[in-house]
Amino acid sequence: MTLRPVEASTATGTAEPSVTSAERAGGRRPRRRKSSRARSQAWAGYLFLAPWFIGLFAITLGPMLATLYLSFNDYSMLTPPHWVGLHNYDKMFTADDRFVHSLKVTTIYVVVSVPLQLAFALGLAMALDKGLRGLSFYRSVFYLPSLLGGSVAISILWKKIFGTDGIVNTFLGWFGYHGEGWVTSPDTALWTLIILHVWTFGAPMVIFLAGLRQIPRDLYEAARVDGAGRWRRFRSITLPLLTPIIFFNAVLELIKSFQSFTQSFVISGGNGGPVDSTLFYTLYLYIKGFKNYEMGYAAAMAWVLLLIIGALTAVNFLMSRFWVFYGDEK
Amino acid sequence: MATKSKRAPVLFRPASRLTRHVLLIVFGLFMLYPLLWMISSSVKPENLIFREPGLLPHDVTGANYSGGWHALKHSFGYYLWNSAVITVLAVVGNLVACSLAAYAFARLEFPLKKLWFTVMLLSIMLPHHVTVVPQYIMFSKIGWINTIWPIVVPKFLATDAFFIFLMVQFIRTLPRELDEAAAIDGAGHWRTFVQVILPLCVPALATTAIFTFIWTWNDFFTQNLYLTNSDNLTAPVALRQFLDSSGESSWGPMFAMSIVSLGPIFGFFLAGQKYLVRGMATTGFK
Amino acid sequence: MKRILAATALAVVAVSATACGGGDDGGSGGKTKLVFSYWGSDSRQKLTESAIAAFEKKNPAIDVEGDFSDFDSYYEKLATKTAAGDAPDVMSIEIRGLAEYAGRGALADVKGKVNTADLDQSVLKAGQLDGKQYAVPTGVNTWPMIVNKDLLKKEGGKMPDDKSWTWDDYIAASQQMTQKSGEQVWGTEYNENPAFLQVFAGQRGEPFYANGKVGLSEQTIKDWWALLQKIIATKAGPGAAKMLETGTKPDQALLATNKSVYGSWWSNQLDALSKGSGQDLELLRMPKAPGASASGMFLQPAMYYTISSRTKHSAAAAKFIDFMVNDPEAGAIVLSDRGLPTNAKVLAAVKGKLSPADQKVAAFMDSIKGELSPIVIPPKGATEMEDILKRATDSVLFGKAKPDDAAKTFLSEANGALTK
Repeated sequence: MTLRPVEASTATGTAEPSVTSAERAGGRRPRRRKSSRARSQAWAGYLFLAPWFIGLFAITLGPMLATLYLSFNDYSMLTPPHWVGLHNYDKMFTADDRFVHSLKVTTIYVVVSVPLQLAFALGLAMALDKGLRGLSFYRSVFYLPSLLGGSVAISILWKKIFGTDGIVNTFLGWFGYHGEGWVTSPDTALWTLIILHVWTFGAPMVIFLAGLRQIPRDLYEAARVDGAGRWRRFRSITLPLLTPIIFFNAVLELIKSFQSFTQSFVISGGNGGPVDSTLFYTLYLYIKGFKNYEMGYAAAMAWVLLLIIGALTAVNFLMSRFWVFYGDEK
Repeated sequence: MATKSKRAPVLFRPASRLTRHVLLIVFGLFMLYPLLWMISSSVKPENLIFREPGLLPHDVTGANYSGGWHALKHSFGYYLWNSAVITVLAVVGNLVACSLAAYAFARLEFPLKKLWFTVMLLSIMLPHHVTVVPQYIMFSKIGWINTIWPIVVPKFLATDAFFIFLMVQFIRTLPRELDEAAAIDGAGHWRTFVQVILPLCVPALATTAIFTFIWTWNDFFTQNLYLTNSDNLTAPVALRQFLDSSGESSWGPMFAMSIVSLGPIFGFFLAGQKYLVRGMATTGFK
Repeated sequence: MKRILAATALAVVAVSATACGGGDDGGSGGKTKLVFSYWGSDSRQKLTESAIAAFEKKNPAIDVEGDFSDFDSYYEKLATKTAAGDAPDVMSIEIRGLAEYAGRGALADVKGKVNTADLDQSVLKAGQLDGKQYAVPTGVNTWPMIVNKDLLKKEGGKMPDDKSWTWDDYIAASQQMTQKSGEQVWGTEYNENPAFLQVFAGQRGEPFYANGKVGLSEQTIKDWWALLQKIIATKAGPGAAKMLETGTKPDQALLATNKSVYGSWWSNQLDALSKGSGQDLELLRMPKAPGASASGMFLQPAMYYTISSRTKHSAAAAKFIDFMVNDPEAGAIVLSDRGLPTNAKVLAAVKGKLSPADQKVAAFMDSIKGELSPIVIPPKGATEMEDILKRATDSVLFGKAKPDDAAKTFLSEANGALTK
């Protein structure tokens, strides 16, 4: 049987409502309705988008295309750009080990921290959703780390936790372990940044919280009447109805963490050290552009990143057909 | 299958209220350790911040607060005000412009919709560190340097694609029947948007408002670049003035003023979060 | 499509046109408006604002606007503004940025515009490139050893004779301090600053840069790493991870928190270190290689004042720099904030007003006057070189690379960055 939120409430409870992705994909093809509204919709669409179009052409697109142009140039910013064709791209893939390295570091970071952070955020959003006094207070408290995450003070604060004399080492010391600082050791530095990323789970948590409230309450009540337990309600109501929001968070966190910059910049002191262990892609791009005066190269790196993120996002969107459920589809 | 669903994973079993409170508090303290350290440092005499590593200060002083408040050219309240002006405008801009665009993408059919949606997503995939140079040149040509326009105007033109996408996703969770019912009642797109969709999107709007507030309030990079005159500085830029990475930084005042400037965002979050969880209680779904 | 093409064209034109275009003249109400950019913290901002006020009082026709930012974002801002043709009229630049900016035509020759007659001529040379005076040093620094005398006494050590002590003496003395304190304090902290390596190499007669390339031999670099490794191995100083935590920040230094007896920092950082420590810190000559004829120690401008090559107010800009370096009134406000003044008259006039720490620095610089090696101006790419050196040093200290390989990698990468 196919799962529909409406049907979930009428399920008898004798069999777990389940759905295969193929079934759902088959039943969810968007239908085009040619009606008298079509023409007016086209007009309205462009009218509603008018501010966005102005912004796109006046503010966003120009600088984007300018950087595309710059990526074919040698550009120090202090002197006019000088056309070098594909040289920057060529150098990136053939003669720059640090470029490849930064890609590797960033990939590890994204692959580990994004799922962790999302799971963490969803778990807490559900724990903080309802049913307890003082939840609004807890929600605010759990959001606080995210307010601190990008601040300059974090470089000090993180050393207070993961430094040589930080609390983690103090704690481990009780068990006889005496080690070096985690933030400044090449083998562990990246992992402290991953923890930092997970620690600032506030943004996806808030989005999940808002998403949870979009789920009609009567569905839960009906399911409860039908004797569905917590786990069943989570599996067959919460999770499917939350998929657009999970999808949104996954797409956005992927884009954002590929562009992660501030944390490694602040904590490594701007060089991605020690021994390039925290050299994020965007940090390397920044170093190339602003510290080494190779803005053309940085622009080329930016467009390569755009292609990478774009491809991954496209895959994400393709996959979403199989698991994301929209309330507006029939 | 049926038997499997009887026993839920531990996380989903009902826990007693007390255990939940205790768990949340312990976990909260763990999460907040850095903040607590910062608060404690902000009330220590400045030269003891790094010499005395413990969390509990020996003697408490307000010197960092009073000193930090007056350390810069203007009192710190002046910079907070500058930040507030920019932030409030940014929130209004994003709420209006992004929700309009989101409605179009989520509900209306028009030619090239997919192309524009792709372009919108692409626009957040390019790291801003490279686009900032041409953008600066552009704003410099029209004489907007040292004004708040380069920061505020883009918000009214929906350049924060993040929020458009967010609202698109939220609107798409709403059943189409709502719009259709409105259309039968004779509502046009504008009325459907204002009277049907927006009220049901309060959590998404609250999310947008909260994030815009926080991100604009904390945004150092653009504000540092465009607002260079010492009379225009905003709070995050002013905070950096306490630091000199090669010399003597004023850590005490920096921590103290950091906490002060956390105040407004925390307050906004506290106020906004109740709208965050004000969803639709019931729907005419069935 | 047409619109997209038009937008591209516009943006491209904007990028290329402004790079060679002129800046904003911004004259307001008949006054000449100067923009002066600098970095630092709130205390420097206060000093600078009052120096600017004093200048404006003497020159009512000139209005100076301070464009101030923290160091981490200073160059990104400066480069962006230069790209837009908005470069400040007077820019502060430090030694590594000099060749980057002067070599790309961003700076104007100040010879004959600013009176440099009373400045220390050997330091002044550090502002010259290709025979042109692109920059005026704001003040001068040196790279000494610093000792915490109170801590030394407490742990039962004795003051070394800094005229004769060798690297081995230094390590032995430090090791003794670590042991005697029961590892409660470290004997010494160390630093990956190239200045340290420059002193070390100078004692072997090797300049850091020669003919636009790195002038160090592979052996010297390896020996310097061996010295650092020995400090770690003998527990004279802490491990590399611990050292990286304090990094280049004097206020968190082990010396500033009374966790080490020795350490080397720039001389103008003594003030910050002393304030943090609250104890009696003293300057020493750096240890020497046995039998070395040169001390390797050198003076280096803390930073420079430069004039943008595109300024429309070069006379006013020169006037401002002249005031900042030659006028005792400015000297009395700025004191040693931008390094010790190199104008002898200004220095004599303000000496009594310097903090106790800075008076020590002034006396110390006086005493080593005859032993100094010449100043070297780093070529274009020096900022990148510094990162490369740091990476190579860390890879050795963390055991990620063999010194032999790391030294070869360092030299080829660094020379690649310098000759780009």
